[in-house]
Amino acid sequence: MVVTGLRAWLVQRASAVYLLCYIVFVLVHILLDPPTSYRAWREWASHPGVGIASAVFFAALLAHMWVGLRDVIIDYVHPIAVRATVLALLALGLTGIGAWVLRILWLSIG
Amino acid sequence: MKLSIFRYNPERDKKPYMQDYEIEPEATDRMLLDVILRLKVQDDSLTIRKSCREGVCGSDAININGRNGLACVTPVRTLKEPVVLRPLPSFPVIRDLVVDMTRFFKQYHSIKPYLINDEPVPEKERLQSPAEREMLDGLYECILCACCTSQCPSSWWNPDKFVGPAGLLQAERFIVDSRDRATQERVDDLNDAYRLFRCRSIMNCTEVCPKALAPSRAIEMIRLAMVKSSL
Repeated sequence: MVVTGLRAWLVQRASAVYLLCYIVFVLVHILLDPPTSYRAWREWASHPGVGIASAVFFAALLAHMWVGLRDVIIDYVHPIAVRATVLALLALGLTGIGAWVLRILWLSIG
Repeated sequence: MKLSIFRYNPERDKKPYMQDYEIEPEATDRMLLDVILRLKVQDDSLTIRKSCREGVCGSDAININGRNGLACVTPVRTLKEPVVLRPLPSFPVIRDLVVDMTRFFKQYHSIKPYLINDEPVPEKERLQSPAEREMLDGLYECILCACCTSQCPSSWWNPDKFVGPAGLLQAERFIVDSRDRATQERVDDLNDAYRLFRCRSIMNCTEVCPKALAPSRAIEMIRLAMVKSSL
């Protein structure tokens, strides 16, 4: 599936809505029921519901970053070889961040 | 009145320069174009494109104190001195304030700015209801002066691939026209990484349009039409 044009735009908009909802959810939780200790915070974060919401948050964040930064690169980096290199580096970086997030979430559940 | 005007004659000048002018406007010089034409009497080498002198033809679009506009509908009293006049940003300069509009019109033609309807021609005309006709308001008034496209950063970076706000406003004008039968083709033609989706909703276009139109809204409407047609 080619994610360009309308699809990329929809991914960016939909992910933005989810990012906003998640951030509001976390902030409201912290304001209404502030964790009293690191242990309480971890317990809350490792709750399956919160864990899934966090995993989706980072997936949405990475998708949002990919579309947004790819747009900036398409705007400004015109030579095809340079553009391909920069896009590859970006994809590598985002994949690395994704793997790191997965590891943290995995450890928090374990 | 003090003015600083961009001058460039490619046959004579190695590079462009700004030339200062001082002129006493007459009581009848209400618009900037009146002052420029009076200046031209002093210095007939000063070049500007103009025609209707009343904001209808779009010929005298220039950059006035950093903001694109039509010299003929810009009141002199609203201008801060020295009035800095430059050609439309990012457009190739032919001479002084006159720019080459070839690329702009190429983008305009790429959206097929005419009704496409293969159905048999009616005896008199293709009718529209008043409501259908109203859909064209805010779109058909565009005079193609290029103030919007020239002030759009997305057009600066990809002028050959991004249609630009003026062309997209015209595209929407035909997409919503009840008499047109090529809506799907028009929408599909714009659905790639460049032609419409280089728009970052910066909205300079809507900010500078001398006809108070909203190309950014037209672009949003095309996106919505795309979403609808993809469902």
